[in-house]
Amino acid sequence: MTAETEARVGEDRLAAMFRQYEVEKFLYDEAALLDAHCYEEWLDLFSNDCHYFVPIRRTRMAKERDLEFTKPGEMAFIDDQKMMLAARVARLRTGRAWAEDPPSRTRHLITNIRVTGDDGDELDVESNFHLYRARLKSEEDSWIGSRCDRLRRVGESFHIVKRNVYLEHTVLLSRNLSNFF
Amino acid sequence: MTKETNSLTGERIDGFVSLETGEIDRSIFFDSAVFEHEMETIFGRAWLFLCHATQIPERGDFFESVMGRDNVLVVRQKDGSIKALLNTCAHRGNAVCRAEEGNARSFLCSYHGWSYGIDGRLKGVPGHKNFYKGDLDKSKHGLREVAQVADYKGFIFATHDPTAPSLDDFLGATGRLSLDLLAMKGDMEIVPGIQKFTIDCNWKIAVDNLFDWYHPQVTHASAFAPSVLGSMLGGGGQNGAEEIDMTDLQMQDGADLDIPLGLISGTNFEQSVVLGEYGHAIGGPTATSSGNADMISGPWRDTPEAKEALGPAGAGVAGHPNLFPTLWVVQEMSQLSLRIPRTPDSTEIWWFTFADRNLDPGMRQFSVNLVSHIFGPAGLLEQDDGENWSQATHQSCGFASRNIPHLLNMGLGHGEIIDEGGLKRIEGFTSEHAQLYTYHAWAQWMKDLDWDELKEATTPGDTI
Repeated sequence: MTAETEARVGEDRLAAMFRQYEVEKFLYDEAALLDAHCYEEWLDLFSNDCHYFVPIRRTRMAKERDLEFTKPGEMAFIDDQKMMLAARVARLRTGRAWAEDPPSRTRHLITNIRVTGDDGDELDVESNFHLYRARLKSEEDSWIGSRCDRLRRVGESFHIVKRNVYLEHTVLLSRNLSNFF
Repeated sequence: MTKETNSLTGERIDGFVSLETGEIDRSIFFDSAVFEHEMETIFGRAWLFLCHATQIPERGDFFESVMGRDNVLVVRQKDGSIKALLNTCAHRGNAVCRAEEGNARSFLCSYHGWSYGIDGRLKGVPGHKNFYKGDLDKSKHGLREVAQVADYKGFIFATHDPTAPSLDDFLGATGRLSLDLLAMKGDMEIVPGIQKFTIDCNWKIAVDNLFDWYHPQVTHASAFAPSVLGSMLGGGGQNGAEEIDMTDLQMQDGADLDIPLGLISGTNFEQSVVLGEYGHAIGGPTATSSGNADMISGPWRDTPEAKEALGPAGAGVAGHPNLFPTLWVVQEMSQLSLRIPRTPDSTEIWWFTFADRNLDPGMRQFSVNLVSHIFGPAGLLEQDDGENWSQATHQSCGFASRNIPHLLNMGLGHGEIIDEGGLKRIEGFTSEHAQLYTYHAWAQWMKDLDWDELKEATTPGDTI
């Protein structure tokens, strides 16, 4: 490392890099839990006061782009607090959740992770995802979008306090949303 | 395909559905000639739901809806009236509006720049003077209006057929009751956000399922597990995370079908089926057996306005109505579910959600959350429907499989039809009367009868 770069890599930058590493590791580990069907462990990553929100998107003219997504209080695809997320997980364990039995094969590709806010206790984190689902013999679904998370520092890790999932679809091309983003 | 070139004779259509045996020919779920014929004889003629008046309150507000394969712009006019315009430029057919909803001062075609007023009148044609030499008569080339548009208590419908009877006649007592079961709950307005998704099934399988009170106990068994049901019904309000008991979740694994049948399947509580003209029908619990109230609106049936609108016979109905062909009035959740055929094996589902303007904010929020937890693509009930419908469609196509009729004969011959207050009603328990009668009516529509003949052919007799 030259003296010049050493000077540029100050403590702030090292802290930001470490934070980036922590956040990325957390989100990758989270995705791995989902793809391994470890839903109870996944649920534990959410705070008890969490909100998980997948708004509806509408094709609108450019001048009305601020109205593309529905807002809390309006209709959404998913509008859950912890109890309802737990119900979704419980459903998958009943042995009669036919949409996921046989289970779908999913792969979560998480990219473009950026920390956009940090007040010390909580972080705002944006990421892009591609959720790929293969199902039964020959069925495929794909959802691509972005997530805006609020992560709360808890010990060495985080809790997800808020997750907003912004899909690129307006009319969903899939027959259901039986997997988590 | 024109009527002359397709092979669907009246004789063949009569063979599709048997009221005597309850058997349905599987080809109606995948045959492209049947689908093409449906586009003409059903979606080209029936009054079809477009949207609710509260979706487009202001001048220039529009919502794009679907009638068969026609995309239709439903637009609020300067004088407060509503027009339904085909979304296709009179010049070269391009869509003049690409947004699903919004507000417009005019509609500008992005191909050559023809511009239309919100009333559909052609206002601007680039080169009208220099290229067209002033010969183009703009008054003849506006956006085409759908033949008839009308509303019932804010629910806007249209038909392509200028000879169709009025919406009021088309709905009849059964159709009006169906909409009143939602409209009379309060001062109902749309909740912004129409859920739209796609199921790879034939549209009729999605439609007949709404009458099916035989399937919830199995299809939706996961949602009715005790550990799931409580959270689903209560989880939309205050955060109840402390109540989550994960040990209980494990206990559910591998349990028998020990589900509360009385709550969901109607095998031990009273149901009623209402059969109307033109194929409208209602099937499901009676108001008494479902407790005469719903979770959100309370005992709304007891208001004088509701009593008058529903009438004594209608007040007892609390099942699922379908307005033929494709509008499910999910009255208990204050929703409408529209099933839009795209191809023989692709159907879009659109969920419209309503709330009483007078609900307190907490209850409104609860109701909005609740419906998303139950229905829609992520709803704990509806998640499990799509694959059944898809498989029922696709497994019906095989060379050998197609010869096995679908069976809708549950209770056949035991349905005594009571005519009371203009409503034709069957009392009893779970049956497949409403499904079978819907297919019978479907076949009558497919025969392209004139309107009087169609009404007569779809009027229920004394028994089914």
